Amino acid sequence: MSADRRGTFRLGPLGPLVGLGTRAATATLRPIAGVVEAAADVGVSLERRVVNRVLDSDELERVVVVAVNSAHIQAALKQALESDGVAQLIDSLFDSGLIDRFLAGLVDSGTLDRFFDRLLTSEGLWNLIDEIAGSPAVTAAISQQGLGFADQVGDQVRDRSRKADDWMERAARRLIGRQPRALPAEPDAGT
Amino acid sequence: MSGLPAAPSGQPLTGTALVDDLRYAGLATRVVSFLVDAALITVVDVVVGVGAALILSVLHIPHELRTILAVIGAAAFVLGSILYFVIFWSTTGQTPGARVMQIRVTSADAARVKPRWAVARCIGVVLAALPLFAGFVPILFDSRRRGFQDWLARTTVVEAPGPSIADVSRAKKRAIREASRQPPPVVPR
Repeated sequence: MSADRRGTFRLGPLGPLVGLGTRAATATLRPIAGVVEAAADVGVSLERRVVNRVLDSDELERVVVVAVNSAHIQAALKQALESDGVAQLIDSLFDSGLIDRFLAGLVDSGTLDRFFDRLLTSEGLWNLIDEIAGSPAVTAAISQQGLGFADQVGDQVRDRSRKADDWMERAARRLIGRQPRALPAEPDAGT
Repeated sequence: MSGLPAAPSGQPLTGTALVDDLRYAGLATRVVSFLVDAALITVVDVVVGVGAALILSVLHIPHELRTILAVIGAAAFVLGSILYFVIFWSTTGQTPGARVMQIRVTSADAARVKPRWAVARCIGVVLAALPLFAGFVPILFDSRRRGFQDWLARTTVVEAPGPSIADVSRAKKRAIREASRQPPPVVPR
């Protein structure tokens, strides 16, 4: 307010003239501003469309794959990961206690509990579990494990029964005073 | 599967020359094998018997006929047990129990047991068990671990190590996977 007064005081008789000029300039620039605004809108829209098209196209995937497969980038990443700077950065991150505080805050806030509660009540999770449980790979792995267990039990029983065979034979022969029978060599495993 | 036992060296056994290289199955292994077979036969018989009893329970059958059916059932049980052993011994030489214990019944010259000798062996098992299982005692002393039934049927029981059930399953899956990976044959135009 005081500035206006001060301005009015300074301009004096030129005030109306300046006001007129300002209005004229505003009226002149209004279409230009509209054009600029429209151009900006078009630019933003164009940018979004370009980004969407890039994200939807296979080109981005190809670029990422090429970049990941690039020997130079792999070497650079490897070098960066093996550098002392990264190691120090990670060490300082852990030493700062930031991660501890973050984890403690996460647990104390109950966010984790709520997350797991929601996860367990979601139908999608159980559908996923059903899909995994019913997948051929999982059933094959379970049946393979069952067969492997049966094999182990069978091997143990066979091994013990063979030992019992030899022991009983030796005992029986000792009982009647005969020499123990010379047994042929054990076959190699897997033959 | 040839039905013939494999020598410990892995070479196929084709004559009497390699007979002495074999490891013969002893008493304990054969008892365990027989227990597995007995359990299998019993389970099948119990299932069949309970099924038959349930069917008969809803039918009004005279008492005399029930007795006859019981006799027929007992005869079927004995005949089924004999057939079980005879068929397995004379075909693969291995009953399921013998397969679990990886042993095989062969003739004295390591060939497949003929059906008539398999029947003789079955009778021999019964005869060996009658005098308080005394017929099995020679297994402990004989150089080829033969019991009375082996002596009667001219058979021996040898160890027959082979791939386990899990190994067979894995090999089948591997073969299927490899077959599916192969490109389809090109049909000439």
